[in-house]
Amino acid sequence: MKLTRLLILLVFLAIATQTFAAKRLSIYTVNYPLAYFAERIGGDQVTVTFPAPEDVDPAYWMPDQKTITAYQQADLILLNGANYAKWVDKVSLPRSKMVDTSSKFKDRYVNISEATTHTHGASGAHAHESLAFTTWLDFSLARLQAESIYIALARKRPMAEMAFKRNFQALADDLERLDTRIRAIVARDPGRALLGSHPVYDYLKHGYGMNLRSVHWEPDQAPSMSQWNDLKQILEEHRAEVMLWEGEPLADSAARLKEKGLGSKVFSPCGNRPEDGDFLSVMQQNATNLEQAFR
Amino acid sequence: MNSLYLAWQYIRFNKFKTIILVASITLIAVLPLSLEILLAESERQLLNRAESTPLLIGAKGSALDLAMNSLYFDDEVPELLTMAAADRVYDTDLALPIPLYARFQTRGHPIVGTTFDYFDFRKLKIAKGQPLTMLGDCVLGAKVAAELELGPGDSLVSSPENLFDLAGVYPLKMKVVGVLTPNHSADDLAVFVDIKTAWIIQGLGHGHQDVTRTRDSSVILKRSEGNVAANAKLFHYTEITDENLDGFHFHGDTSIYPVSAVIAVPYDDKSGTLLRGRYLEGDESQLIILPAEVIDGLLQNIFRIRNVLDAVIALVGLATLLAIVLVFTLSLRLRQREIQTIFKLGCRKATISRMMMAEIVLILMFCAVLSSAALGVIDSNAEELVRRLFIG
Repeated sequence: MKLTRLLILLVFLAIATQTFAAKRLSIYTVNYPLAYFAERIGGDQVTVTFPAPEDVDPAYWMPDQKTITAYQQADLILLNGANYAKWVDKVSLPRSKMVDTSSKFKDRYVNISEATTHTHGASGAHAHESLAFTTWLDFSLARLQAESIYIALARKRPMAEMAFKRNFQALADDLERLDTRIRAIVARDPGRALLGSHPVYDYLKHGYGMNLRSVHWEPDQAPSMSQWNDLKQILEEHRAEVMLWEGEPLADSAARLKEKGLGSKVFSPCGNRPEDGDFLSVMQQNATNLEQAFR
Repeated sequence: MNSLYLAWQYIRFNKFKTIILVASITLIAVLPLSLEILLAESERQLLNRAESTPLLIGAKGSALDLAMNSLYFDDEVPELLTMAAADRVYDTDLALPIPLYARFQTRGHPIVGTTFDYFDFRKLKIAKGQPLTMLGDCVLGAKVAAELELGPGDSLVSSPENLFDLAGVYPLKMKVVGVLTPNHSADDLAVFVDIKTAWIIQGLGHGHQDVTRTRDSSVILKRSEGNVAANAKLFHYTEITDENLDGFHFHGDTSIYPVSAVIAVPYDDKSGTLLRGRYLEGDESQLIILPAEVIDGLLQNIFRIRNVLDAVIALVGLATLLAIVLVFTLSLRLRQREIQTIFKLGCRKATISRMMMAEIVLILMFCAVLSSAALGVIDSNAEELVRRLFIG
């Protein structure tokens, strides 16, 4: 009799546990770094979806209606802030589920000085086009974004707060190690001139005090004549020896840069899911490439 | 029993008189009670909306205007405040802010700009189509859809605020994407858009070709370092489509954009109290109200007329009762010969009195049954009656 009761209790507990475990929080994000942070912190309590196709830049992606509806129905919507994901301003999302992961460091947003804005009339207000948005490339800011995610998850599911806290701490340690590593690299030669192939390294530059200027090239496109001329003018006042690329550049572009005394190193912003590895492994590789750029 | 039998036969014989008596007494009984039922139901329905809205924040001014515009989408737009008011509530972490911008109209119906949370808050469900997704989408209240005969896939143009403002903003053609289920409230009579769409209707946001990349110099007023100023020739889109959605944008900081009110939904009672406390300072430029209190005060004033109606009905009732008493008295006088005949037949005076009383009792019984039936019908249909007759 006792055994029967015990068995019934065990079965009941198993069912209850399964039921509880089955109800994962649904989280939608606007970029891959936030998806990675949410997966690390949430663990088996969450299902994280980052629906942008792999071959698009999530900052400029526009989801279709079906995807927007899916965002609306999520338990949490993680936003990057700093005007990332411009589509967010063009759709209706429930504020109660939105988490602006960079809201706590708005005072550290970086303005893009090279952006061209527009006004209507001589004295109208500017349209908002001038904020840099790859905030996660400053790993101290990435840690703050991860913390926002941890806080949001703990609010949604207080019972799992201890697990979230443990996971967040592990992620924070990884991000702090990356932060320390980058600082140490840059500290070897703080004035070392670098070039960015694309204006996505503003937070890396400002966060770590790098002497970096950017052009507007794509790794999979051959630069035009005018772009080469612009580069020439920049190099006259900014004697860089290495260009950081978002992805592996075309062999021709790299070769031509080499002729001009410029090496090429990949520092992937990792806004979308990488083909291999994950956010941490990509950033660790980026740090290794940066180390080489500073030799 | 014999008295009752005779009374019944008498009543049956004098049908016309009986019907008039029963009708008069029933009316006198039913009228004030049904009025009471309908007024109580009106009060309940009007208060229901206010009670379901925990806190309302608006610019300092008329609490009544704020409540009427925010709860019932009244034409009178209160003093406006900015989106920063909603951000302020959000930053307190005490309540969920739901901004409202109920200023514009379309074909006689209010356009209510709000956020997605409003629909969950008011428990509004989609009957046809889908909820708001993109800029330019609108969702219709059930009565609006029925009246205008519109559904998902149709379009609706916002009405200009001022017919004489020729240089004003062009009306926006909105896409109907959904129709709500009937909610038996002011929501049935409104057209809902995302608050950003309401700002576009006002002209704070717009879409046009990319002037930083255009080759048409006739739309450029001035180019300077890092900025291009466009002139008035630049065409603004009057409809938001999938093709031009990318071109829509807002100028300046949206936290200074206007809203008419912010509904604050506290996370718990303590948070609500704390939030209210934050708006008590003397130099506070914003107002926080409990809508139930404001509407209750209004209803108390309006329904004071109930006392007047009650007094009038009481007087009419008294007059009717007196008339009925007169009818009975005259009836008795007319039946003198009949009563004398019964008396001479051996009927005692007490029995004769019992017979007269039995007639009155039977008539009153009929009145009671009819009144109960009428009041029962009114009570069970009070909600619908009030909605149709008074609230609309």
